[in-house]
Amino acid sequence: MKTLEELAAIREKMKSKVVLREGSSDIRVVVGMATCGIAAGARPVLNAFVEEVAKENLSEKVTVTQTGCIGICQYEPVVEIFEAGKEKVTYVKMTAEKVKRVMDEHIKGGKPVAEYTIGNN
Amino acid sequence: MIRTHVLICGGTGCTSSNSPAIRAAMEKEIAAKGLEEEVKVVQTGCFGLCALGPIMIVYPDGTFYSRVTEADVPEIVEEHLLKGRPVQRLVYNDTGDEKKVDGPVSLSETGFYKKQMRLALRNCGVIYPVVIDEYIVMDGYAALGKVLTEMTPEGSY
Ligand code: FES
Repeated sequence: MKTLEELAAIREKMKSKVVLREGSSDIRVVVGMATCGIAAGARPVLNAFVEEVAKENLSEKVTVTQTGCIGICQYEPVVEIFEAGKEKVTYVKMTAEKVKRVMDEHIKGGKPVAEYTIGNN
Repeated sequence: MIRTHVLICGGTGCTSSNSPAIRAAMEKEIAAKGLEEEVKVVQTGCFGLCALGPIMIVYPDGTFYSRVTEADVPEIVEEHLLKGRPVQRLVYNDTGDEKKVDGPVSLSETGFYKKQMRLALRNCGVIYPVVIDEYIVMDGYAALGKVLTEMTPEGSY
């Protein structure tokens, strides 16, 4: 290593490997992963969010975690999105396919996808 | 794709209270549950709370477990890593206040760390000290780089 640029390049390249440990970011995506959620297919949903966040280079802004039963088992897989200063958005009956749209329109675009939310199901 | 890091202290204190066996058990259990692609186990240096060891911290949620034993590992994997429910009886959440919180608190909110501002040791317990790239991500060598390339011996830019 000879220059500052090289140092910065390593830092950028490796960042995604450590950023998880910095804890809370602006947006939190929480997937319900109790037995009911898992049975309904919450794991592929969780993994789809993790992959999309990495792919879109949003690891510093968005954290993806799981939680236990939210209490609305008939609507699983349930995903809640928390954003500082905004009201929580609850998505129900999520699938890995729906994740892409939530990423594009909600996480990146700032507009929740109304038709996937609990009010509309 | 990795979504969770399980940091297990590999400092001297925790090593003597059995953390290597816990790490091995954790890796085995993660594999048994088919979570190798989702959960990564990271060995760290001393967190500074050796008396409460072996210490384990799960990110991104930052749940802080103390006095973990090998026997606790399957429960942590099944409940926390798979289902997202921290194992409450192992959670250390003493904030030093009279009012007890229920549920996990982050390391910096505990009574022991709350009033500390760690400088030289701020990466200790966060990175795997054997991998230099993890240090570089935490701005390692940045100050030295600046001194060598941008500053003069007189200390000005
Ligand atoms: S050795 Fe683990 S906290 Fe000190």
